[in-house]
Amino acid sequence: MALTRTAPDRAGGERARLPGAGRAGWRRRRDAVGLVFALPALVLFAAFAIYPMLRVFQLSLYDYNLTSPPVWVGLDNFRFLFGDERFLASLGASLFYVAVTYGPAVLLALILALGLNTRMHGSAFVRLLYFAPVATSWVAVSVIWRLVLQPEGLLNQTLNTDIPWLTSSTWAKWAIAIAAIWKEVGFFLIIFLAGLQNIPKDLQEAAALDGAGSLRRLRYVTLPLLKPITVVVLVMAVIRGFQSFSPQVVLTGGSFGTEVINLFVYKTAFASARMGRASAVAVLMFILLLMVTFVQLRALRRSA
Amino acid sequence: MSAGIVARPAPVSRRRRPVGKIVVFVLLLAGGLVFASVFVYAALSAVKPADEVLTSPMRWLPTQWLWGNFTLPFEQAPFARYYLNSTVVGVSVTLLNVVTCTLAGYSFSKFAYRGRNVLFLVVLATLMVPLEVIYVPLYALVFDLGWVNSFAGLIIPSATSAFGIFLMRQSIDGLPDELLKAARIDGAGELRILWNVVTPMMVSPMAALALFIFMTNWDSHLWPLLVGNDEEHRTLPVGLAAMQANNLGSGGLPMMMAAALLALLPTLLLFLVLQRKFVEGITMTAGIK
Amino acid sequence: MSARARARAVLIPAAAVLAVAAACGSDGGSTGDGDQIELTYWTHTHPPMTELNEQLIAEYEEANPNVDITYETIPNNDFGTKMLTSLSNGSGPDIINMDDSALRGEYIPKQLLAPIDPSAFGVESVEELEALYVDGTLDGAKGDDDTLYGVPSEFNATAFAINTQHFADAGLDPASPPQTWDDVSEYGQQLVAAGHEGFNFVYLHSGWHTQQLQTLLNETGGSILNEDGTGSALTEPESVEALQIWYDLIREDQVGNADTASREATSPFEDFASGRRSMTMIYPWAVEQIAQDNPETFENLAVVPLPQVDPANPSGRWYGYYFAVNKASEQQEEAWRFIEYMTSQHERWLTDVNFVQPLQGWEQSEAAANIPFLDVWSQAYQQGTFDEVGPHWSEVQDAIKAAVERSIFDGQPPAESLEEASESVDQSVSS
Repeated sequence: MALTRTAPDRAGGERARLPGAGRAGWRRRRDAVGLVFALPALVLFAAFAIYPMLRVFQLSLYDYNLTSPPVWVGLDNFRFLFGDERFLASLGASLFYVAVTYGPAVLLALILALGLNTRMHGSAFVRLLYFAPVATSWVAVSVIWRLVLQPEGLLNQTLNTDIPWLTSSTWAKWAIAIAAIWKEVGFFLIIFLAGLQNIPKDLQEAAALDGAGSLRRLRYVTLPLLKPITVVVLVMAVIRGFQSFSPQVVLTGGSFGTEVINLFVYKTAFASARMGRASAVAVLMFILLLMVTFVQLRALRRSA
Repeated sequence: MSAGIVARPAPVSRRRRPVGKIVVFVLLLAGGLVFASVFVYAALSAVKPADEVLTSPMRWLPTQWLWGNFTLPFEQAPFARYYLNSTVVGVSVTLLNVVTCTLAGYSFSKFAYRGRNVLFLVVLATLMVPLEVIYVPLYALVFDLGWVNSFAGLIIPSATSAFGIFLMRQSIDGLPDELLKAARIDGAGELRILWNVVTPMMVSPMAALALFIFMTNWDSHLWPLLVGNDEEHRTLPVGLAAMQANNLGSGGLPMMMAAALLALLPTLLLFLVLQRKFVEGITMTAGIK
Repeated sequence: MSARARARAVLIPAAAVLAVAAACGSDGGSTGDGDQIELTYWTHTHPPMTELNEQLIAEYEEANPNVDITYETIPNNDFGTKMLTSLSNGSGPDIINMDDSALRGEYIPKQLLAPIDPSAFGVESVEELEALYVDGTLDGAKGDDDTLYGVPSEFNATAFAINTQHFADAGLDPASPPQTWDDVSEYGQQLVAAGHEGFNFVYLHSGWHTQQLQTLLNETGGSILNEDGTGSALTEPESVEALQIWYDLIREDQVGNADTASREATSPFEDFASGRRSMTMIYPWAVEQIAQDNPETFENLAVVPLPQVDPANPSGRWYGYYFAVNKASEQQEEAWRFIEYMTSQHERWLTDVNFVQPLQGWEQSEAAANIPFLDVWSQAYQQGTFDEVGPHWSEVQDAIKAAVERSIFDGQPPAESLEEASESVDQSVSS
């Protein structure tokens, strides 16, 4: 997404270097073959991304339960949603999840990246420890954390507490966030480490020669240069956060204030067969994510 | 390139005092061990007798090491079936992605037909549409195609990816046009050029793409839950969540841990073996080159 | 490039995609040759029942070599969702086995089921078929117009189970079990003092929360919906009283700990079965499950009548699972024939898994004679009502689950929790 800017260019370059009518015809045929190469992907996109996307906008204006024909209801689905406690609660749950999981996760990843960006022996091993959860699947990880979060599970025993992590509205949302931070830190750590490698070494060295201490170098050299990547990371964090489904399903089933947007859509569409209303939520989500992406592009342009 | 994260960390200023460095390292190591302790806890719980999993005070080690618990998921649930399904779906989706994305990436990079840029932009735009947003009509479509409860439903809608096309286009852009031109002058057809000239030079990005797609697919839960209704088509995440919901009393805890560990093992191993490619794939998603 | 080559270039990738699609798609279709009949059959997950189903299917296939039955068990948490979605879009199984709330609340009003075919049961009319069953027990599979859509695979009344060993530990007399919920509280506290969990409800999925609240509502005279079904009655004093009983037992008198309650859907009574809990509400099938899985608890198990708010006017809760046929099925006749075979084996359902198929005189049958605590059960079968249902019932159940959780786990007073639930129920049934 970040690179859309590199897309539109290079169409005519080659053409200019190959003049002549005969050659032009031959080239047109060749280019037609090129289009054919793109066809499988394009057909798949048209069928499984673009068509459903248009459909979702259309369905959001209908009442549709799969069994009887769709009934046009205009903006009723949206009107309903804005007054629906359950939908608003799920929006709140998603926002909470995004903020409380990804805020700490990104911050922790940044700190770890600064610490791990060294050539020290053993740091590759330490990185592995943080990377490993990224390479595992959400459901498997959630199954494991369900045990960790039991009243007599690892977390309570380690903290010497007696918290009903998964069966209380006070704690359940924090419990899921803890598990998710553990799962996601490594992902952002990888990105931050890559970002750090992109910072020219001579800048650091120049600053060091000028007598800047490591804290000052961090503040005036490293962090400003990490800014673009941080923006990208934050946008990815928001998008990943809004896509969350598995940890909530496995850990609480959406109880105790953890019914996130995706779970709400799933239940609305497939447990209550309210396809129109579910589509309306999807449209709202799409607009929300589009806004986030827009903010990202603007921030990138400003920092570029 | 990002591959250096794993293998060749950047040098940091030589002036930093070693004591500070060691303190930082020890802290980082301690944090890493805390992270890893979750896996250790799961693994030890998997080989415990059922009634030793949740005890107070907690005991890390089992009194008896029941390695046989790892066969429980296969005996008490169709776990082998889930495994096979995930493998079939994962491998098919990966292969299809490599093919469709390489073809499209090549097309968008080295040909100059009308509308090419528009098409590429449309593809990129779909990057912004998460599957979650469109799964209601997508489900209806897949149903109309008769693909509910079929591998087609699990595989075909994921057979290409905007990210993959983008990745392959960027990589193929780096190929000098002269190379293709020379092949054309030698009279090679476009398919032959693709196969003999382009593909051999694209093995590395194709591998990064394959790894990334496979891992993403292995994790996929919501879509397979919708289209893989029945036991025959349940993938690991769907099956595992079903086992969790139905787990057979407290006796099931070691089995669930064994199942979860078995489920995450393939991608974890792939990661350990192919760290560089893995890191490359992830940094690509962030648009770092 | 020649025209043919170009055509080939166009066709090859397209054909490849289609070929893969076709190869993948075909495994969902039928592979039948000629007269082979393929039926699909879905049930929820209950291990003893699964086993009996598999046996009966094998026998049926043996006797009818031209019939091939694909049997699926769906995880209980997903069962309602899967079934509704599949039936709604026409992809469901030929034969379903589903609880009466879903049948009356969703499938029948949405016309997803085929009316029963009496001829498959060897009778002339639906009336004749009904005459074979205990009065009122088929109502769980009837629409508003009294059309019948299924026959019971299991029919359950509610009773109470106590662990006699725990009673002895606490100095209580197992021969005088609790008769009221106040008794449950009093005995429960003594059982807790003796080191057991006295009593608790079961916290699995929204269906369970709702059915247990309904059991209490039946006793207090409350209800979920108002009389004409247009809105919630959860804030009525009688309805609040039902959740208050639950709240007082668990939060006030602490006869059980909801946080540590097991939530494993295939073994709902795990805490009682494992000997951790002393008292529980129970259904016939659960007794058999405990007998199979936990023989040592079974030895100390006594089934007693359900405690009552007003023992002079006892009430109870009925629910049933019914065999029914998907309206979209192309093999309805064969499906009903299979169901006929399943119900003809009613004695084995009773003997093997304690499922009561309430045919007239089932209590006098030989199979029933071996049912433990038959007298308690037959008394329980005298007094029962089916659960309430209404439009979008899964949302209503979710709202009730959330209310129970707010009160029992978070400690919110029942009146307040039900106030919130009430708003959401109003919205669900009216839109």
